[in-house]
Amino acid sequence: MATYAEMQQIYDDIRGDFRYDHELNGCLNCGICTATCPSAQFYDYSPREIVQLLWTENVEQIYDAMQEKIWACAQCMTCAARCPFKNSPGGLVAIMREVAIKHEMQSAKDVLRPFGRVMLKLITTGNQLSPDMIQPDHFPDWGPNIQKVEGDLRLLRKAIPVKTLQTVDTAWEVSLKTSVEMYTIWEMTGVLRSLELMDENLFDVIEDFIDEKREDYEDWLEEQEEDEEDDD
Amino acid sequence: MGDTVLVVGAGPAGLSAAANVTAAGYKVVMVEKEEVLGGAPILSGYARLVPSGEWAKDAIGRMVSRVEEDANCTVHKNAKVTQLDGEAGNFTATLSNGETVKAGAVVLATGFTHFDSINKPEWGFGTYEDVLTTTQMEQMVSSGKIICPSDGRVPERVAILLCVGSRDRQIGREWCSKICCTVSANLAMEIKEISPGTDVFIYYMDIRTYGLYEDKFYWKSQEEFKTKFVKARIAEVTASGDGRLLVKGEDTLVKRPIVIPFDIVVHAIGMDPNEDNPEISRIFGVGLEKHGFIERAEHYTNTCGTTRRGIYSCGAAYAPETIDDSISQGAAAGARAVADLHALVRKAG
Ligand SMILES: Cc1cc2nc3c(=O)[nH]c(=O)nc-3n(C[C@H](O)[C@H](O)[C@H](O)COP(=O)(O)OP(=O)(O)OC[C@H]3O[C@@H](n4cnc5c(N)ncnc54)[C@H](O)[C@@H]3O)c2cc1C
Ligand code: SF4
Ligand code: SF4
Ligand code: SF4
Repeated sequence: MATYAEMQQIYDDIRGDFRYDHELNGCLNCGICTATCPSAQFYDYSPREIVQLLWTENVEQIYDAMQEKIWACAQCMTCAARCPFKNSPGGLVAIMREVAIKHEMQSAKDVLRPFGRVMLKLITTGNQLSPDMIQPDHFPDWGPNIQKVEGDLRLLRKAIPVKTLQTVDTAWEVSLKTSVEMYTIWEMTGVLRSLELMDENLFDVIEDFIDEKREDYEDWLEEQEEDEEDDD
Repeated sequence: MGDTVLVVGAGPAGLSAAANVTAAGYKVVMVEKEEVLGGAPILSGYARLVPSGEWAKDAIGRMVSRVEEDANCTVHKNAKVTQLDGEAGNFTATLSNGETVKAGAVVLATGFTHFDSINKPEWGFGTYEDVLTTTQMEQMVSSGKIICPSDGRVPERVAILLCVGSRDRQIGREWCSKICCTVSANLAMEIKEISPGTDVFIYYMDIRTYGLYEDKFYWKSQEEFKTKFVKARIAEVTASGDGRLLVKGEDTLVKRPIVIPFDIVVHAIGMDPNEDNPEISRIFGVGLEKHGFIERAEHYTNTCGTTRRGIYSCGAAYAPETIDDSISQGAAAGARAVADLHALVRKAG
């Protein structure tokens, strides 16, 4: 359990986010956000409650909501599209999650652990999901449509007239240059720093991988220059 | 002509202004774009009015005949002002029927436009036959029979959704329409009176039955007519397989989403600025405030003024307004127009 001062600091960090005043204007307490929220249908979660806790500066209950509730939000932003006061409860949840990560809250670590694999796949291939991951057994809800992916995937993908999509172990091919640019973006926007706070082991693996890719890219650039000199 | 006031719009506000101008010994020329006088309560067929309980056609009907029988009041129906020249004390208006009117002052009593529920598609109006507006429900009450338009059955449950087209930034309506809470509490009583087997639920964010409307409407509707007030704004109206309507909202007490079946859903529609206001602003040279209503002159010392000298306004042309207040403001605008004309004439003489 955190001390009151810690909880106050967490609230201050949420309040201090540059997006905060844009996402929260006040609240008419109408409940439209909760009524339209898909997560509220299934979990003990209510966007109106989150908005009310923030608006009334209830630091203890805010801290409590960050243990579990805020992780139920699907970030679909239906609430933001419907709120008659033009608040964005989903946007507030995004800020709260970032603050939970910054404070290395256990709840954040628990929730994010299963996503380590997704993160790894994303960073190593630039894709979250690849065609060869779509196994018929894994998608019973697709019904008969699943047969469409049961054929010869390699052949089917070859039929797509876009070269970068003619792969099966990635959704599309990401060029080395794009990957390296993405790493820079993730570094500068604090994504990698968040990863380090949440899962140090995964961060180490990914950092090594990034270093390697950057070297590959440097080598490739040098090769290009040499080729040019040869041409001269 | 320094002894004539041009009154545009013959709703409660304009009818009141006209009567007060002639009572002071001046003349009125009235220009109304529709073919009947009386404004929204007559044109939309309201039932019993708040707070008097009188039928609209009787109450407003009296105001109409007072003006129609007034020898000092000339009425142009089916007409609009298309051009206005001159200045305070000496205006010349050209009408769409080809006539020209000389007047010393102008009172704009051009009122409001009902919110069109089509602009809020998630609440089912235009999609489901049993989703109605308060004006349609008023007409049903006037007809003396409460039935579902889809198949004529008597509804077991009616939901009234408040603030439809008001207090909603998503659709640029940042005002409260002031009267719909009271009108809805009243409508619930009227429904129950005609159809005792029908239960009425009102979904609200806040109840604004201000002043003396608190016990007369909000309390009475609950105590004597068992109207259920539920604090929640509805998110969506859909249909169930058996032809009933499904209303989806949050039960704000237990903080859970709920879906409730109803037979009729009524939108308590708000008051938009008159859709003619951009045209009125151009023709009469008056400013509009940020929501699109007519802008007032100095708030405390020139309450009935507009941004142009010699042109006055009143009622729902300024902001969402009740009939009672529109009538008071109409009287004030008429009196102020006459007083300013009197001063002008004295100065000239
Ligand atoms: C569903 C509903 C129920 C209501 N019930 C009640 C109630 O019970 N009690 C109550 O106090 N209030 C009630 N109100 C509010 C009431 O309708 C208004 O207070 C009242 O109509 C305002 O009067 P007005 O004369 O200012 O405007 P209006 O009634 O809108 O009259 C304006 C007149 O001007 C005319 N006009 C408009 N533009 C032009 C133009 N360019 N040229 C010429 N003529 C023009 C219009 O045709 C109209 O005749 C209700 C409102 C709604 C929406
Ligand atoms: S963004 Fe989150 S809170 Fe908003 S509707 Fe979607 S799941 Fe609910
Ligand atoms: S929809 Fe907006 S105004 Fe309504 S309860 Fe949710 S945050 Fe508050
Ligand atoms: S009067 Fe009541 S129903 Fe009408 S807009 Fe205001 S709060 Fe909503």
